[in-house]
Amino acid sequence: MQAFDCAIVGAGPAGMSAAIRLARGGARVAVLDRGARAGGQIYHAAADSPLSDAAALGPDYAEGAALIAEFECADITYFPQADAWHLGDDGRVLFSHQGDTHELHCREMLLCPGAMERPMPIPGWTLPGVMTAGAAQVMLKSDAMVAEGAIFAGSGPLLYLIVAQYLRLGVPVAALVDTTPRRNYLDAAPLLPRALRRLAMLKKGLSLLHEIRAAGVKTYRGARDLKVLGEGRAQGLRFSAGGRTHDIAADTVFLHHGVQPNLNMTRAMDLAHRWNPEQLSWQVETDAFGQSSVPHVSVAGDGAGIVGADGARAAGRLAALNILHRLGRLPRADRDRAAAPDLAARAAMAPFRAFIDRLYRPTDALRLPQDPATLVCRCEEQSLAQLRAGFDQGARDPNALKSLTRCGMGPCQGRQCGHIVAGLLSDWRGEPPEAVGYYRLRSPQRLLTLDELSRFHAASAQARAEAAE
Amino acid sequence: MKADVLIIGGGIQGCATAYHLARRGVSVIVLEKDYVARHASGVNAGGVRLLGRDMAEVPLSKASMEMWQALSDELGHDTGFRRQGLINIAVDQADMDTLRTREAKMRAKGYSHERIISRDELRERLPHANPDCVGGVTSELDGYAIPYKATSAFRLAAECRGARIVEGEELLSLRRVGGSWLAQGSTTRFEADTVVNCAGAWADRIALMIGDNVPLSHAAPMLMITARMPHFAKPVVGAVSRQLSFKQFGNGTVLIGGGAKGFADRAAGRTRLDYAKLTAAARTTAEFFPIMRRAAINRMWAGLEAYMPDNLPVIGPAVNAARAFHAFGFSAHGFQMGPVVGQVMADLVMTGHSQFPLGAFRIDRYDRKVL
Repeated sequence: MQAFDCAIVGAGPAGMSAAIRLARGGARVAVLDRGARAGGQIYHAAADSPLSDAAALGPDYAEGAALIAEFECADITYFPQADAWHLGDDGRVLFSHQGDTHELHCREMLLCPGAMERPMPIPGWTLPGVMTAGAAQVMLKSDAMVAEGAIFAGSGPLLYLIVAQYLRLGVPVAALVDTTPRRNYLDAAPLLPRALRRLAMLKKGLSLLHEIRAAGVKTYRGARDLKVLGEGRAQGLRFSAGGRTHDIAADTVFLHHGVQPNLNMTRAMDLAHRWNPEQLSWQVETDAFGQSSVPHVSVAGDGAGIVGADGARAAGRLAALNILHRLGRLPRADRDRAAAPDLAARAAMAPFRAFIDRLYRPTDALRLPQDPATLVCRCEEQSLAQLRAGFDQGARDPNALKSLTRCGMGPCQGRQCGHIVAGLLSDWRGEPPEAVGYYRLRSPQRLLTLDELSRFHAASAQARAEAAE
Repeated sequence: MKADVLIIGGGIQGCATAYHLARRGVSVIVLEKDYVARHASGVNAGGVRLLGRDMAEVPLSKASMEMWQALSDELGHDTGFRRQGLINIAVDQADMDTLRTREAKMRAKGYSHERIISRDELRERLPHANPDCVGGVTSELDGYAIPYKATSAFRLAAECRGARIVEGEELLSLRRVGGSWLAQGSTTRFEADTVVNCAGAWADRIALMIGDNVPLSHAAPMLMITARMPHFAKPVVGAVSRQLSFKQFGNGTVLIGGGAKGFADRAAGRTRLDYAKLTAAARTTAEFFPIMRRAAINRMWAGLEAYMPDNLPVIGPAVNAARAFHAFGFSAHGFQMGPVVGQVMADLVMTGHSQFPLGAFRIDRYDRKVL
């Protein structure tokens, strides 16, 4: 069993930045990450891209490679392919690594669980051939795999980015079906002047859209009433746009309408959460440095509310400064002085984020299933109609509905359906999401074999015996 | 709000009591501080077990077991009950001696629902059990139900007969004034002729409000469940002298219990798990059933459960107040008793009597000094 000043879970932009800063401050740091190589989702495989022309992925991706290089040189105990399956508020971390369970203890814990894509439960969303745009990116980044002639449907910067990346690599795209509602442009317009201060960011976004337009990809705007066509597997997409219904054939449909914090770790630790009405998602409650309601547990990056890669790097550095202070390695005044630039940068980024959040705010019609037959819980195959029946039987709480219908009991632990169920209950009860709450989540955070669990016991008993000698 | 009877606690005992009262035309309110089946009644292992009961519990447990067989039909909602049989495995001759001693005792009382099985029969019914096991004991009526569904079925059947269930309402104070009980909830006042305390892990606090002191403690028995696996065990499995307990549900998932306890935080209504103890349960399971080694654990949890020092429940009238009754402290084996306890409580409320011997379950059994 090993002891550290700080254990960081997740080696994306936030985790890596924090680890580098903590190590520089003299702290003993452990970083646990699922990936074979650091980078997280956004910088996935940035250090050793299988693509011959990784530049097609854009300059931000290349920046990731530099951060990974710095991370790998720092004085950090790094566990790649380590799956943390239990995080205790007593500072205990249990994780699977090379087929065995290991245990470490830490004084401070920093969670960097990152984001996950917002589920888009349109009819047919669970058919084979339907994937998320994020999955398209992972395939591209880790295996250089692409799907030719695919439809991209939804809205938001990440959707446009992956379409642009496809086009740069010369992969044909069947259509971009943009679901951004027209009224969002009006709603977001008042936020535009302040967002213009981040002209570079805005230009980056506009150039993506321009690139897609210039490539001649068939684009439909203000699309509604989406439905994946096909029996047994996806064969196309039906939607209405411009006053008429369109049927477009494709073997692959990529869906995306924004990302939201991955809550499994922060919820399982029972940290305080709040509903973010701008981003329509739950997020962990933290102070400016990422410190949660449990003082020795901090959260940084998209896992604490969507901020993007640059925001995540800043959040990681800020969390590290505060943790160094809490460890007694950095006086408060020094912490605040060192934090000033990142705090200022974050404040400067906020108006742009607010603009983006408003512009790409998903409609309820796409956020929540509309067709009674649409599956909400993929693991336990529970449809909207089945959930409604459970609600009508008196299950008004997400956990009660879970107990009654098994929705959220499967191997994904409600990662996908948690947000949908909370949204549906909020809708049906006519109460805000705060009143409805969320699933009670628990360790283990991934499937764990009985064998692994029993061998861990033997190993920790042996460690205790050795310690006693 | 006014009713004839106010039941504190929306677990299986409270909901079954509400059902039996409501079907006899009594007006009932159930007060539940969280939601129905939030704690032990909704998250327990679902064992519906007559096998190995304490002698004092056998009459109640037997009657309840008969009720379980047709309960879904009676309530009009599925309880998830499946009669699969239960086998407690004997690992050595000492276990077999234990079983034979018990068998003699059971026979003397005229009970015949438990039957010792040979090594061969064990092998036939549980082919995946470790071949070193020497035999066991079985009860054929036993099985499992889905706890939340079963409790919910009682709730719905009670509501359908006019019972009112108030969720999210905590009992703050309880006083007897004249001939009525006045109860102050977090938002509402309630008035009733009779109160029934079915408050589970919180029942000692309600008992105190009524005027009865009781040595109740609480703990958090832990459970874990696997992802679906091929069917390999029809009966529910336990062991005579080891902490082994699991059942495979119809959907293929395997629920592993065994009685290991986590940490209970009653004030917050939460539990924490003790992983060292869960690993012991994992080891025991894998040792007895090698097929389980590759089983993938999907979820782990614990519920808040009330325990009495002798592991027997409190069932009966209050001793320090009129028109008050208790049913709590089932010490992690009350789920199976729910159906009959509901009937017993309704009898007590309406007639003051029960057909069952309840002497062992008196609330004041620890008050009487023996010099």
